[in-house]
Formats: sequence, C-alpha cells, structure tokens
Amino acid sequence: MKDIFRLENVIHQYSGRTVLDIQNFEVKEGEALALLGPNGSGKSTLLRILAFLEKPTKGRVYYDGKMVNEPSFAHRREVTLLLQNSPLLKRSVEENLCYGLKVRGKTSNMQEKVRTALEMVGLNPQKFAKRKWFELSGGEAQRVALASRLILKPRVLLLDEPTSSVDSESAKVMKEAILKAKSQWGSTLVIVSHDLAWIYQVTERALSLFNGKLINHVPENVLSGNWEPRNGSLFALKLSDGQIIMGAGNPMESSTALLDPKDVIICAEKPEEDSALNALEGTIVSMNLARDTGQVLVKTLVGDKTISSLVTEKSMKNLHLHPGLKVFLHFKASALKWLQ
Amino acid sequence: MRKFFAFLVSVALLMALALPGVAAPQYLMMATTTSTDNTGLLNVLAPAFEKAAGIELRWTAVGTGKALELGKNCDVDILLVHAPNKEKKFVEDGYGVNRREVMYNDFVIIGPPSDPANIKGLDVISALKKIRSHEALFVSRGDNSGTHTKELKLWKEAGINGLDKEKWYIQTGQGMLNTINIATERDGYTLTDRGTFIKYEANHKGTPPLVILVEGDKLLLNQYSVIAVNPKRCPKVKYDLALKFIDWITSQEGQKVIGDFRLMGKQLFVPNAAEQ
Amino acid sequence: MNYILEGFIGAINLLLTKDPETYSAIWTTLRISTLSITFTLLLGIPLGFLLGHYSFPGKRVLRTIVDTLLALPTVVVGLLVYAFISRRGPFGELGLLFTIPGVAIGQFILALPIVVSLTASAIEGMDPKVYLTIKTLGASNKQAAIASLWEGRYAVLAAAITAYSRVISEVGISMMIGGNIKWHTRTITTAIALETGKGEFSMGIALGAVLLAFAFFANTLVSFLRRRA
Repeated sequence: MKDIFRLENVIHQYSGRTVLDIQNFEVKEGEALALLGPNGSGKSTLLRILAFLEKPTKGRVYYDGKMVNEPSFAHRREVTLLLQNSPLLKRSVEENLCYGLKVRGKTSNMQEKVRTALEMVGLNPQKFAKRKWFELSGGEAQRVALASRLILKPRVLLLDEPTSSVDSESAKVMKEAILKAKSQWGSTLVIVSHDLAWIYQVTERALSLFNGKLINHVPENVLSGNWEPRNGSLFALKLSDGQIIMGAGNPMESSTALLDPKDVIICAEKPEEDSALNALEGTIVSMNLARDTGQVLVKTLVGDKTISSLVTEKSMKNLHLHPGLKVFLHFKASALKWLQ
Repeated sequence: MRKFFAFLVSVALLMALALPGVAAPQYLMMATTTSTDNTGLLNVLAPAFEKAAGIELRWTAVGTGKALELGKNCDVDILLVHAPNKEKKFVEDGYGVNRREVMYNDFVIIGPPSDPANIKGLDVISALKKIRSHEALFVSRGDNSGTHTKELKLWKEAGINGLDKEKWYIQTGQGMLNTINIATERDGYTLTDRGTFIKYEANHKGTPPLVILVEGDKLLLNQYSVIAVNPKRCPKVKYDLALKFIDWITSQEGQKVIGDFRLMGKQLFVPNAAEQ
Repeated sequence: MNYILEGFIGAINLLLTKDPETYSAIWTTLRISTLSITFTLLLGIPLGFLLGHYSFPGKRVLRTIVDTLLALPTVVVGLLVYAFISRRGPFGELGLLFTIPGVAIGQFILALPIVVSLTASAIEGMDPKVYLTIKTLGASNKQAAIASLWEGRYAVLAAAITAYSRVISEVGISMMIGGNIKWHTRTITTAIALETGKGEFSMGIALGAVLLAFAFFANTLVSFLRRRA
C-alpha cells in the first residue's frame, strides 16, 4: 500500500506558539488511522493540514506522492473533513448534499446519489430530502453533514469527533456508514475520537498526539468474555488455565473491560493474596522498546489472553526480563474500565 | 433561488419605470417662493399656460433668497418672486433679463384680538413703533424670503434696529403658515401676505385666533415680477420658453387668469403688467 | 381634537378615492427609493462582503470611516450633491437637479455606508466554521466566497431593508435635490414637510400613514430575517 499522505519535519505555529512538531507521519492509502490525545494536543490542527485548509508553517507535505506547495481546492476535491458539530448550509437537506457535487460539476444523477447517501446515514429520503436546515435535530444534522461528504465518495475522509454530542442512534448509524466508506470505496479514514471502543473496532492503527508531538499509541488491554458476578460488586473472568481475573465496577450487559498497561506491574514472585488485587501468572511472549518514551512494552501470555504492561528499561534490567520468562502480573480489580 | 430571481426581475421592472419613458413635452423650470406656491395660483396658471402654449410649467417653491440663487446657478429658467430691490440687483448684476411686473397682493399685520400694543387701524410704521415700545411679541419668518425682506425693510423705515437680539422678536426660519401658527401659539404679532392669511382664516372656519390689525398702507404692497434667467450667463437655460411664459402672463389672457383667481372666494392678486 | 379627527377622515378619503396628488407622491417615493437602493445594493453588498470577509492592512480604519458615514445627515448630503449637480457645479451638464435620478444619487450616498457596514457585520458575524465547511466540500475560493455570501443572505437582506427604510423616510435630500415639484419630485416626505405648511393636513396624515405602514412592515420583515440568520 502506498502512502497517500506523508509529512516531513512539519512544524506549525500560531502567533509564535508551536502547536505541531511532527518529524515523520504517513498515512497509507485505504487504511483507517486513529488520532488520539488530550484536548489541545494538536489533533484538529493536524486534520486541518491534512484537509488542505492550512499550510504548515514549516515542513513538507506530500499527497499521493507529490509535494504540495500550496494547498488548493483541487486537493480538497479528494480529501474531505467532517468537523466536530459541523454546521450545515442554510438550505434544504437535499441542497446541502448536492453542494459538493455542484462545485465539482458532477451534476448527473444527483437525485439518485442523494437518496443513496441519505439511506446510508439512516435518514428516509422521502421524509428528509426537502427538510430545511433548521428542521433537524442535532443528531440528524450531523448525519446530514456526514452524508454530504459520503455522497462525494471521497478518496480520504477525515473525521473530527464525528459522534461526540450526538444521540446514540445517530452515532450507531454514522459509524456504520463510515465503515462502509472504507469497505465499499476504499476511502482512507483518519479519525479523531474519544470513543475508544469504536476506535479499536474500526481502525488498524492509532497514534497519539501530546503537545503537538506524535507518540505511538500504546493500546489498552481488551479483556472480553463472560464476566460472572461475584460478591461485593466484583466480577470474575475465567481464563483457560483456571486463573481468574477480578474486575470491580458495574459492567451492565457488556463483557469487555479495558486495562491500561501502565496499571499492570510485573514482578518475579507471587504477591500476597488479596481479593481486590489480581495476581496472575504468565509467560512473557514479546518485549518492544517504545523509542520516544524509553519504556518497554511487555506482552505476557496469561491463559488465553495476552496482557501488555509497561516497564522502564531499568526495571527490565533489574528483573532480568526476557521473552519466555515466567512472571507475575498484578493490577487492581478497580483498574479495569468497562466499555458500554 | 427562484424566488430571488423573481425578486430581481420585479426590481428591474420598477427601475425601468423610474426612467423617463415617453419623451416628455417641453417644460419650463421655475423657481418661486413658498408664499406664492401656497396661494395655489400656480396650480391654476400652469394648466392655463400649458393649454395656451403647450409647455409644461414645473416649479420649485423655496425662499426668495434660494430662488435667486437657483437663478444665479442656472438651475432654473425663470423666476417668479416678490422682492423688488433684490430683483433689481439681480438684473443689474447680469443674472436676469426681461424683468416684468405681473401682479401684486398685499401684506397685513395680524395679531391677537386683544391687541396688547394697540396697533389696530394704524399705518404700518406707527404700528411697528408701538410694537417695539410695548416690547410685544413679534414673530418673523427670518428666512430671507420675500415676506421677510419686506418686513425688514419696514422696520428700517420705522428706524428700528438691532432686532436680532431683542427677546420679544422671534425668528422662525420657516414658511408663512408655520410662522403664523407659531405666532398663534405665542399670541404674537406677525407680518403675512394676505393670501396665506385667507388660508389660515379658512383653516379656522372663519374665526381665526389672530386677526388683521393693520392693512391698506401703501408700504404694504407686495409686487410680483417674473425674470428670465440670463441666457448669456446660462447657455443651457430655456430662454425661449421663458420668454413665452413672460409673454403669456403679461398678455391679456394671462392677466385675466390672475385677476379671476379666487382664494376661498376672495380675490387675492391684482394684475398690473404694464404695457411694454 | 376635531381638527385631528377631520384630518384623519380626510386622509382615509384621499387614500380610498385614489387622490392623484397623494398617490403621485407615493409612487414618486417608490420610484426614487427603488432606483437608489438597487444601485446601492449592487455596489454595497460586494463591498460589504469584501470588507467583512478579508483581512488587510487598514481594515479597521476603513471600517471606522464607513461606520462614521452612517451618521451622515441628509441635509449635508443634499447640500453636497446639490453643489455638484447644480448647473454651476462640475456635473451641471447632466441636468440632474430636480430630477428623480438626481435625488436617487443623493440617496445612494446616504444608503451606501449603511449597506456596506451592515453587510460587513453580517459576514463577520457568521460562524467561521461555515466557511471552513464550505471549503471542506471542495469549493474553490471563488465558489466559497459566493456560498458564504449566500449563507449570510438573511442578514444581508435585513441590511438592505434597513437601508431602504432609511431612504424612503428621508427628507433632506429629496427636498434639496428634488425641489418638491408637483407630479415630478414630490415625495411622501417632502409632501408631508412642505404641503402641511400650506394647510394640506389630511394629505399629510394620509402620506404619514402610508409611511408608517411601510415602516411597520419593513421592521417586521427585518425581525423575521434576523431570526433566520
């Protein structure tokens, strides 16, 4: 797969303040990439640069193999961005959808395309096509905003928090539509979202931005299975080798928990028995050094699950960790976060 | 979008109507005074003239001062005003030609029936002197109009100066009827042309709050003249049409129209165009 | 009280019987105002858009000048225009004094700052995300500018109506340039101002009522548009 985007030594500044500092960044054509990070970390800025709305203060942007000196509307014809809480144009739903087609001069079969796009976001064309922009709920409006981009069958679809502040039904429909864009048309997706469950479901790769810099995202441990309730608001997950993971909280119907690798501690000996503390025995299967943080991601096989944990290089040396070593993992039952 | 275009089309149509469509008949542009216009005489003269000569008379009514200025600026073709001294200077200075007297009416001094300064029946000079000595409220137009010019001339004749600063002397800067209304409000005296008084009287159904106290004095005569704007100074001016009007208004026919004119049933103007 | 009542009855009579002088004044007002506002909008809306949309050195100064011109008194405009179009003035040859186009020129000068300033405000007041959104849909700069302007159409229309109300109700320019010539340049406002001085009270009321009705209608329309904006 070739790169559709490549950024080299891109630095972007606003009134002297550096908001982005990216040495290397690529997006492969057809992939789905997640951008994570706290507010103000530069995600929206990066999306705007990728959307050719802004030119970075310094550095080179390559699109489809060619360097882009001046972002222009020609590029924006292939790359479209859905803003968070995207405003609609003050016209009917149908006209909103047609706008992108009209500016491209692609005015054939518009009715048909409008119908397809509306159905894709779960809006009945009979009911919604003629509605005016002020006759829509928040969720409906955001769906229309998405539809007006889907109708263009864009080569690249950039999404900035597409489903935040939207009702759950709309969110569900939109997520399916976005997935279809990739599966049916091969659109490249770059998604900024806080919805981790969805992120992991739809994207193959995740990057984190922190203060404008890219760091490889360390994926959370995803623990899914049949969680049985035990006494005292604890739930237990049986592993294939008979060990049990205890999680505290209120998991409702779902049976998926996330465990941050930072919360998992490795030690050589078995710790004291404690119902609130998980102590699992397993074998290290791999170790990777995360270059920018200087930490080592250690993957340990426990029963049928692979659990990641982060250790410092120093700890790694002190504990003489190596793949194949039997170790004990501890983490608190309360460290588990439940997914809805 | 469609509604927007319909709107544009209707605007374009309206615009088209704003432009002069059919070629207008010849017209003569006159500057006259508000008091002349107020009498309604022009509403009778204009159609009569158009019938006789096929020329439309258009007029703008402003103060005498402004009328003369319009003449100086070549913005009008002919003047009909009533300020003989100013008119003579206007002609002397080369701005106008062919000045012809056409008619006169008169001025009267009106005031409250209680007549605090006791001027009833006096000649105008004595009346003014009495007003001054009583410091009775006097309302002036103060707008450089023919009436105002006349009024100032009368005060001068009576030997009275420095009115500008007197507390009992009010200058309205407005037209005659408005000035009379103000005098009515304040129970004061004022100098007015008879025509406006007749209208004022009619507005009050025959019993006006202010009544005529001084009239008939020769000094109170108000002489109207027409003057053509000098074509040598104003090449674009319609001198030929102006001449036609002057000819007509000083002719027997035009003079008869003036003499037959009635305001509220009363004759207002006395035609006095001298035979040239 | 009788005087006022009679005036009103006379006014209704004039309006219902289609009194030619009264209706001539109304029609003349419409002709002049529509002529002036059309050109004002043609020039003012694009200028207002440019002023509101783009940043450039001196923008704030220009905006201040335009906003100051909003307070131009009509008599000042009337005087200035008279000086230019009088036969003695530089454009005297055009014979615009005492004509409808002449008054329209004065009204154009009066209304232009209104349209420019309000349009610029309308554009500036628009959600900046809207312009971004338009660009993300692939519009070229020119297409985006047009679409942006269309997005602001309600506010711009409100600006146009505001300017129209201003010119319809002005007296100074109509009087000084128009001359209140019967059948030709006698407008609603000059008629009210000058004819009532002759005692035409009923006509004054009739015309005043028409003007008020227009003002009421315009205001309602502007509120409606502002809400949609």
